[in-house]
Parts: sequence; C-alpha cells; structure tokens
Amino acid sequence: MMRPYTPKDNVQKKAYYTDRFWVAPRIPEEPVPEGSDYAEDVAAVKKACKVLNAYIQRGQLVIYVNSEDNVTALKALKEERGYDMLSELSAVDFLAERGGFEVFYQLLNLNAARRLRVKCFVEENHAVESVNPLYRSADWAEREMWDLMGVKVNNHPYLKRLIMPDDWEGHPLRKTYPLEGDEFAQWYEVDKIFGKEARDIIGPENRDPGRIDRYDTERFARLGHEVPRGAPAEMVDKAEETPISYQEEEGVFLIQKLSAENSKVLDKRR
Amino acid sequence: MAQHQVNYTQSGGLPVALTTVDKILNWGRSNSLWALTYGLACCAIEMMASGASRYDFDRFGTIFRASPRQADLMIVAGTLTKKHAEFIRRLYDQMTEPKWVISMGSCANTGGMFNTYATVQGVDRVIPVDLYLPGCAPRPETLQYAVMLLQQKIRRESANKSQKPKRLV
Amino acid sequence: MQQTNKLRPFFENLEFEREDNHMVINFGPQHPSAHGQLRLILELDGEQIVRAVPDIGYLHRGMEKMAENMIYNEFLPTTDRMDYIAATSNNYGFALAVERLLGIEDKVPRRAKVIRTMLLEINRIISHLFWLATHALDVGAMSVFLYCFREREFAMDLMEDYCGARLTHSAVRIGGVPLDLPDGWLGALAKFVNELPSNIKDYEDLLTENRIWRMRLEGVGVIDADLARSWGCTGPILRATGIEYDIRKEEPYELYDELEFDIPVTNTGDSYGRYKLYMEEMRQSARILQQLIAMYDETEPELMAHVPQYISAPKEDIMTQNYSLMQHFVLVTQGMRPPVGEVYVPTESPKGELGFYINSQGEPYPYRLKVRAPSFWHCGILQDILPGSYIADVVTIIGNTNIVFGEIDR
Repeated sequence: MMRPYTPKDNVQKKAYYTDRFWVAPRIPEEPVPEGSDYAEDVAAVKKACKVLNAYIQRGQLVIYVNSEDNVTALKALKEERGYDMLSELSAVDFLAERGGFEVFYQLLNLNAARRLRVKCFVEENHAVESVNPLYRSADWAEREMWDLMGVKVNNHPYLKRLIMPDDWEGHPLRKTYPLEGDEFAQWYEVDKIFGKEARDIIGPENRDPGRIDRYDTERFARLGHEVPRGAPAEMVDKAEETPISYQEEEGVFLIQKLSAENSKVLDKRR
Repeated sequence: MAQHQVNYTQSGGLPVALTTVDKILNWGRSNSLWALTYGLACCAIEMMASGASRYDFDRFGTIFRASPRQADLMIVAGTLTKKHAEFIRRLYDQMTEPKWVISMGSCANTGGMFNTYATVQGVDRVIPVDLYLPGCAPRPETLQYAVMLLQQKIRRESANKSQKPKRLV
Repeated sequence: MQQTNKLRPFFENLEFEREDNHMVINFGPQHPSAHGQLRLILELDGEQIVRAVPDIGYLHRGMEKMAENMIYNEFLPTTDRMDYIAATSNNYGFALAVERLLGIEDKVPRRAKVIRTMLLEINRIISHLFWLATHALDVGAMSVFLYCFREREFAMDLMEDYCGARLTHSAVRIGGVPLDLPDGWLGALAKFVNELPSNIKDYEDLLTENRIWRMRLEGVGVIDADLARSWGCTGPILRATGIEYDIRKEEPYELYDELEFDIPVTNTGDSYGRYKLYMEEMRQSARILQQLIAMYDETEPELMAHVPQYISAPKEDIMTQNYSLMQHFVLVTQGMRPPVGEVYVPTESPKGELGFYINSQGEPYPYRLKVRAPSFWHCGILQDILPGSYIADVVTIIGNTNIVFGEIDR
C-alpha cells in the first residue's frame, strides 16, 4: 500500500469538498473616486514613488507599492497626509503560489479618522526596510513578523525573536509549518527540561484531549474506586469501592461540619 | 508551688486532646494550604475571583503566596506554553516538600482547545499533578471543591510516609 | 525529594554585570504583579531604571495559526481567550470583521444590535472594574480590590444569566446573537446600572484624594502625545495624552452613533490621569446602558441576520423546512465561504483599538487572520517609558497600562 502524497508547501486545512463549478466571488475593488481625500493620499504616494495599484475595498484604501519603496511611501503618507499612526504591520504567506510574502502596513490618520493599507510583495529571502524610524510601533511588529513569518527586516535596531523562544526552530505562521508543530516543537519542553533521553519515559504528546486511559494509574484515578498512584493495571478492575463524600462522614478533627439547617442562604442583593 | 485552681473535669474539660501524629500533622497541612499564585491565563482570573470577596478562599485556610518557598500548593491556572514550561519546573523545584499541584482548567490538563505547536499538552508532562480540574474556565466553586478534595486526600495520607518517586524523571 | 532534571540552578534574578554598579534584575515571567506572563529585564542604576527589555511570548498559544485551520464559526470561541477579561469585545470584533467581509453588516437585526451593544458595555464595565481592582492591589490598596470584585460579580452574574458562562462568553455570533434576553434580565441590568455610579463614587472616595495613591500615580509613567501616536497606543492611554479619539465616536459601529455619551479626555498623560479616565468611562458606560434599556422594547424579536448563503436559518426553520436543514448542514460541516478579499475592522475594546485583519481566498478557512491587539503596543511602549523611573513604579506602570497577555501573545 502506498501512502497518498500530501503537498508539503501548504499544510493549511482544506475544505474536504469543493464543488467542481465553484468560483469564489470577489469583494469588488472600487476605483478611488476623483477629488476625494483618498485620491489625494494616492497622489501623495505617487509623487514619492511608483504606485502599482490603488483601489478601495470595503471602504478602505489599499495602495500597492514595490517592496523597496515601503519607507518612502509611508514617509510621504505620514508627513504630507497626516497618517501618524501605524496600527498594524504584518505579512501574509504566499510562498506556495507566488514565492513570497505580502507585507501590509495598516495606517490611521487620527485627525480625519481615515484608514488605509499600504501593501508590498517581498520575495522569499529578500528583506524589507525597517519603518522603525518613522513609527516606533514597527519595532515590535517587525520582530513579530520576523519571528512568526520569517520575513527579514533590514536596519532593525534589535531583530530578535519576540514571541517564540530564542532557540526555536522554524517560523510557525508559514504555511509549510504544521499546526501541531514539527518534531522539534513537539518535544521542546521535554528536551529542554529533562533532556532527550527522557523522551521514552515521558512519551509522545497526547494530541487528543478527549482521550482518557482508565488503566493509566499515574494520571487518573477513578472517582470512587481509587487505586494507589502507579498501581499495576490489573488492580484497576479489582479496586475496592472508596466512597467519596462532600465532607468526611465522621467529621474532621477540630473542624465544624457544615449543616444545611444552620446556614443562611442569601438569594438576592441587598 | 502554685496549685491548679481549675477543675478540668467540670469546667470545659481537660486541655488535652488525644490524637495521632498523622492526624494532627495532616490537620495542619490540609487546613493551611498556601497556594502559589501560578496564574497563567484566563483561569487566573477565576482563581483571583475565588480569592476575592464573593468566594473568599481564606475560609479554607488557603491564601495566595507570591513565593514558591512559602507555598505548598501550586494551582496551575491557565495555558502552559512551551516557552514557559522551563519556569514552571524551576518554581516547582523551589517549593518545599510536601507539595501538591492542582491543574486548573482544560489547558493545564491536556492543552485543551489549544492543540497547537506552542502549547504544552498538559502540565503533567512537566510536573506531577495531584488533581485535575476540568472546565474552561472552571468556576470558583469548582476550584473550592477541588481544594476540599485535596484536603480530603491529604487527610488520608500517612504524614511521614516517604514520598513515592513520581512518574516524571 | 528533589528530582533531577537538566535545569541547572542559577541565580538568574540578580546579576551584577558591569563595573559601574549597574544591576540587572529579572522580573517575571511569573510575577504576581506582572498581570500575566511578562518578563522584564531591567538594568538598574541604584533604584533608577536605565534600560528595560520586555520579553513576551510566554502565553503564545498559536491562535492565528489555529484560525487558519478552523472555519469561521469554529474560531469564534477561541477569541474569548484573547482578552479574557472582556471576552465579548473580542467575539464582537471578530464577528464584525467577518460580517464586513461578507458584506452583511447592515443586515444584522436591530434587537441583536441592542443586545450586542449592551454586552459590550457590560464587558467594558467588567474590564474596568477588574483593572481598578488589580491596579489598586498592586499599588497597595487591598480593600479597593475586594470592593471592585464584589461589584464585578454582579456584572458577571448578568453575563452568566445571558450566556451561561462567567468568563468565556461567546455571546455573539456572526450575524447576530444566539439568544434573546432572559426574563427579568433588563430589570437586573437597570438595578445594576443604577447602583454602579454610587459605587464608583465609593471607590473614588477611597482613592482619588488618597495621599498614597496620588503620590504613587501622579507623574508616573508619563506618555506624551507623540510617543503615544508613534507607538500606536489607543484607548485610555491615547485619550490621556489629550487626543480625543474613540472609535465608538469617530468610526461608529453598532448603535454608537445613536447613543449619547461623552469621551473623557485629559492631557496629563500620567497614570493618575488614566485612572480618572477609567472611572469616567465606567460612568459613561452606565449611561449608555440606561439608554439601551429603553431602546430594547422598540425592537422586533428577530436575532440573526437572514442571509441563507452564509448563516443558518433560525431553529424553527431548520426543524421544519428541508432546504434550511440542508443549508445548515453544509454550513456546519463545511463552513461559509466568504468572497475573496481582505478587511481590517477596528473596534473599541475596553483596552483600545482591537482590530481584526482577515485575508480570505474564498475558502471556508481564513487564509490569514491577524489580530491587532491593543495590549501588544501598550506593552511594547514599556521599553520607552520605564527608563528614568524608579523600580517601585514598575508595578504601577505595568498595572496602569492595563495589559492582558492573552491578547499580547495570542
């Protein structure tokens, strides 16, 4: 029997059934209306660098620029058009289809309450220039982007992993990275704390949170039929009944027993 | 030499209680379970709520301590991630014997809904656990009941029995 | 019995690193006042902080990766665990983003909008009360902690009566809300809202003119307008710098354009100013809730948007009509397929601007989902505001920025 081939370049979950004639509709990309504020934004970017595409999608302007022009475009928008807050910066992985990442910069003009998104395409193994001198918020966002997506950033003051541990391998948000982690990820804490030789003792991760092994006396004790920790499996079925009670029947040494008659129930707020 | 003026057989009885060492030790241990505040995520909020005014954990003799050296109960409340796993082990090692661990919430029990690369699939991969407390997040009443169950468990134990080597290395 | 493992004991908390008497202190990642799993590495000159390096990621659970492997409705309960103090605001932010992606935002029935806005404001009160409680506890006012938790429990009871959960609500669905309000709920809400202002006044009496409170908060953690803008700070931190920007007012969603409320602003930029903003915001939330109670009765009893392509029909239809049942089956097993495109939708969560960026490629699974969590930036700014302050102020500043690690690390 042969194992069916599964593509490794995109391990994202797929729909198990798609109609043969299904064509996904698209959100309309409207042209930027003449004379609007957004048109002036586009003009300001055009003056500074080349604009590949500009459209309005769901009420927000999207401007595509070349990846080497990202700082120029943001600088024009910040200084001429008042986009003084970088509210989000990240990347989208298109390695499998187009061999690169789409980096987006989500900007906000606080005075006019206007938002736009500057996007650029970065090929794999290419780097974007840091926008940290323009916006301090890019500091952490770019570190996170490097950490999770593996998009390199040039001239960043402190480009180091932010979210994952320093000794982590791989960039988890890439489409090639499985959701449950590779082997390194799955054994990370065991290797680090107990060493690789303890892998056999601790065993692989249980990825099914619903699974309970009643003969696993190390971790589970059947309520009402308790066995000592680590007892052999055959003892489980022969376990004597151990009654469980809310409080011990005979009472506890020096502790008053709760009785329902002597307690008061507060049923509403004073 | 002063004479005893109190007639113990009549007024309130003798100031003597007969018990076993086991019982008195376990009584002390079970009714002053000082918990290490190991709040990691959402469950920590419920842990705080159970310590606060409505649920009032102090009634059980459980007060939260910030230092592992003063605590004998570790309530692991929340998701343990791979990056954090090292530190939970360090703090567990710093607690003095006897020590108990309550794993509070699904994330701590099994990784819960976070079946991902970054989450430890159950704290029992790193430290031994005495009580698993289900729920996401468990209500404060559940945590109180867990502490009561743990108290019962402690009372059943022999006070000076040698600690069994636990499963982890 | 100490068990052996690979972790070598080392005295990591203190390190005298340099000859010039600078001390390096490690704070966290498990510190009771760090509000989660924040690790700060502080370089001290005497008691003054010279350099601070926050280290996050100790609660990174891979939510964005999970979102890529889940259908849209499946992901909604996961958003609860982001800002777990005000879970509904996350649910709502995600639901609104998906609704805008689908283009069904204005099809949400009015009653659902009223209920959603109510839940959002109750969550704001819960979150602010929690903030006040923990912040006061950190600074040393234990009784305020107990009072606030008492008050918070009443709000939690309201949430529990509505959706059944205390903390992780999932009370909002894509396209509406799952349930109508239970009987007597509005009365309980009215009672809570009427009593809230007097209780807030109690807390203010305890704190506002309290000498210790003022000494520990005034002039501590000053963030000026430029720094706040540059760091992308939003919410009370931005409004404490004198910039009047609240997404509820500027880019209104739900019913906020019909409601009357004020946005408190101050220009002190310090912790004390932010404390006053939080107190005032709670009062404004109570005011909003009072208006919403009156609005509820005028609405039709419809709760979910009617868009059969994306959203299951009401339960009566599913049980009686064959086609609705089939649609429901497909939507549950395969999930809805939004159009190709991308949206970024900001909402005003109690902590600031909570935005969801969704990139859809027409599949039932989002191609990329990025959460713009306010706390992420409010935590990043620590490395710029901590230097120069004293080590005793660290806890005040961390508590005052109101960061939650569920949403920083996601």
